[in-house]
Amino acid sequence: MSNFYYVPQEQIMKDKAEFAQKGIARGRSIVAAIYDQGVVLVAENPSASLFKISELYDRLAFAGVGKYNEFDRLREAGIRWADSTGFTYSREDVEARALANYYAQYLGDTFSSGYKPLEVEVLVAQLGSETRPTKLYRIGYEGTISDEPRFAVLGGDADTIRARFAASLSELAPLNVTLQRAVAALAGPDRTIATIDLEVAVLEDRGTRRTFRRVSEVDIDALRG
Amino acid sequence: MGLPLYDATNDPGPSFLAFATASGLKLSSGHERELSPHATTVVALRCDTGVVMIADRQATGGYIASRDVRKIEAADAFTGIAISGSAAMGMEFIRIAQLSFEHYEKMSEMALSLEGKANYLSPMIQHINFSVGLLVLPMLAGWDQSRRQGRIFEYDGAGGCYERSDFTTIGSGSPFAESTLRLGFRPDLTQAEALELAALAIYEAGDNDPSTGGPDFVRNLFPMMVTITAEGFTELPQEFAAATFRTILERRTASGGAAGGNLR
Repeated sequence: MSNFYYVPQEQIMKDKAEFAQKGIARGRSIVAAIYDQGVVLVAENPSASLFKISELYDRLAFAGVGKYNEFDRLREAGIRWADSTGFTYSREDVEARALANYYAQYLGDTFSSGYKPLEVEVLVAQLGSETRPTKLYRIGYEGTISDEPRFAVLGGDADTIRARFAASLSELAPLNVTLQRAVAALAGPDRTIATIDLEVAVLEDRGTRRTFRRVSEVDIDALRG
Repeated sequence: MGLPLYDATNDPGPSFLAFATASGLKLSSGHERELSPHATTVVALRCDTGVVMIADRQATGGYIASRDVRKIEAADAFTGIAISGSAAMGMEFIRIAQLSFEHYEKMSEMALSLEGKANYLSPMIQHINFSVGLLVLPMLAGWDQSRRQGRIFEYDGAGGCYERSDFTTIGSGSPFAESTLRLGFRPDLTQAEALELAALAIYEAGDNDPSTGGPDFVRNLFPMMVTITAEGFTELPQEFAAATFRTILERRTASGGAAGGNLR
């Protein structure tokens, strides 16, 4: 006869969560914050070509931490979802909440019934318009979705970074101040992050349809002051 | 539509058309037929700063259906795409091309090369024209970022893509526009000279082809004028087009309608 041991659901979930958290903690974190003109996404990323932050649609951006192959597939699915929704209906019908919900369902399903949980956390950022608010949706490895009012932190060290960034938070600040605070929160008190190790992108209205823009190394330096 | 996730082995990649096929997304199959499908004139020619494009604005379906159609669109910041043929199919064609180029750029974090864009259109033309008869013929012109020059591509009905080193025309007014361009084209045209020559070509087409609209001084509607340079796609203001065509009109009025032998 085969051996079946009773393992309580609680234990299974706990093991899975620990596994996913460990995977996520291996990578660096990301801070996304709303500033007075838009949304800035800041990642610590030594690679200049394997991005963690990406354009999804006219007013939507994606960010992911954890295993690259896993969040990159979610990024691609997001672009496909956005482009086909905009093609079928209208560009203004492409909205962050619907996509965030799909991500949450997929991550949740994989967590509870998949072979292994995905070792990722993702974020969908939306730049507000006349009809929609600016939004940051963070989706955890187990499918928890949270609507973050001013800023969101993804990654293993999220709690510490969140506390650091929250302490420096005040009124909506301009881009340079917000970026400086985000970098300081990512770095912590004991180290500095070189500009070359930063990946920064913004969603900001500049009179064009597409609002996503990668910030170049030179511009990051200028903003850091 | 749910979250479109694929395995690495059946992933459609960065092509929007491949994805649309894989996901069963319905693209227009274009079974409508319009009366005079090629009623249009669009010209593109190369000049020292890149390329210029001019298109008439009339939609014809036995009668004049519209006088302010846009036949040139920016496919992206450095590429212009123009259509002749069925209006409905043409609009759809431009929409899919624009979406495809942007989709590719977002998926692969890298813009498609100008030649890549030109080649991408070939199977689209082939599909439309082989399945429902000759309905759409586009042209593509743009600034090539790697070669640092303007480039022009034309197509045949079977989807064949040909690069032109000088100029190209599409639509029913082509014979008249093409003749004008042939007589006036030089490889060293400045942008201002190219715009003037292209405007003259559109004027000739509008003057001789009933399905091509010339400048409309009554309604203040003028052909669409575009430049594509290292700075990108720019649509020139209607006031500029008005001034350009008014100059031609005044010369022609003075000479009693005769071109006068000196490309005027």
